[in-house]
Parts: sequence; structure tokens; C-alpha cells
Amino acid sequence: MQNRVRELREGTGLSQGELGERLGVSRQTINSIENGRYLPSLPLALALAHCFATIVEDIFIQEEEKWNPRTIQSVER
Amino acid sequence: MEPTHHSIRRALSAVVLATGGLALSAAIWASGNHGFAAGVLSFYGVASIVTYRWAGGRGDVAAILSTRPDERQRGLDRDATAISGLAVTVVALVGAVVAVARTGNPGDFGVICLVSGASYVIALGAMQRRR
Repeated sequence: MQNRVRELREGTGLSQGELGERLGVSRQTINSIENGRYLPSLPLALALAHCFATIVEDIFIQEEEKWNPRTIQSVER
Repeated sequence: MEPTHHSIRRALSAVVLATGGLALSAAIWASGNHGFAAGVLSFYGVASIVTYRWAGGRGDVAAILSTRPDERQRGLDRDATAISGLAVTVVALVGAVVAVARTGNPGDFGVICLVSGASYVIALGAMQRRR
């Protein structure tokens, strides 16, 4: 899974440490997320989205067809 | 965070290590091997100091040692614990097999295998209730 955390963070001028501090995680964890080594939990992903004033789908991009939201037929209500 | 809380959390791993070392040294001392007891006490003393200093750092290990890890660091700690448990189980299994072949009795290795298997089943049951 690819993500835009580095791009969004650099856009705001925050360092990895500063972003980590805002989210209550370490600088190493932000670095791991940016490099795609660590996939954050849903609460942390939501917190990231909130921090960058966007939605999770704008930050994390699913590559595999299986779980791509664009290919999953939604349930009609 | 208050400085006192930070100091307590930083010292926790070192205190656990020192307490374990003290208990082990006391047991060895009671068995009559005073020189070895002093050596073990010195080793754990140095290990406790190193742990305390390491826990004051900024890396992943420091966060885990000072009991303030984030979700990724908790995952690292959990995975490392699982892998070390697996390593102990494999060694115990091999030891039990060798002991049975040599003496017909698995001995202490059998006890470790039993505890390992039983604790895994109990832990799995408990985790299923949580997730």
C-alpha cells in the first residue's frame, strides 16, 4: 500500500518528530509509515487524515485489486 | 508528562531486572556458591544501569524499555516476545526429544513444553474473547 504521508507532511512544513508529537507516536513510527514499512491502525490513520484535513482514502492508496474501494460493489441501502 | 512519572517509567525495566538479579543472587548465595552469587549480582547491576540509561534514549528500544511505546513499538515488542517464546519452545522440544532418547524421560524440557503448550492454548482462548 502506498501513502502520501511524506508529501502531505512536507506540505505543512512539519518534521517527522513534530507530526509524531501531534499524533502521540514516535518519529520512528512516522518514518516507518512514510516508507511503507508500517501500516497504521485505523485510529491512527483517521488521526492522520484529521491532522491533514483530508480523508483516509486520500492518504493511503490501495494497489491490489482485491481491496480497492473503487472495484468493490457497494451495498445498496 | 510529570517528571516523576517519566522517571518511574524509565526506571521500571531496570528495577525489574535488578530485582530478578537480586533474587537469583540470593538463591545462589543460599546454595553456598558465594563467588558466583557476587558475579551474578554484579552482572545484573551493570545490566540494570545499562537498561536505565538506554531507557532514557529516543529510539524504539528506549520507548519499549520505559513502558511508553506507541502502537508500532507495542507491535514490535509483541512480535519479539512471540518469536522468543517460539525459540524457547523449539529448543525445549528438541531437548525433550534428545532427553527421551537418552534417558526415556523428557525431564525439565518436558515441563517447559507442557507450560508452553498450555499457556499458548489459554492465551489463544483469552485473545479470542477480546477480538
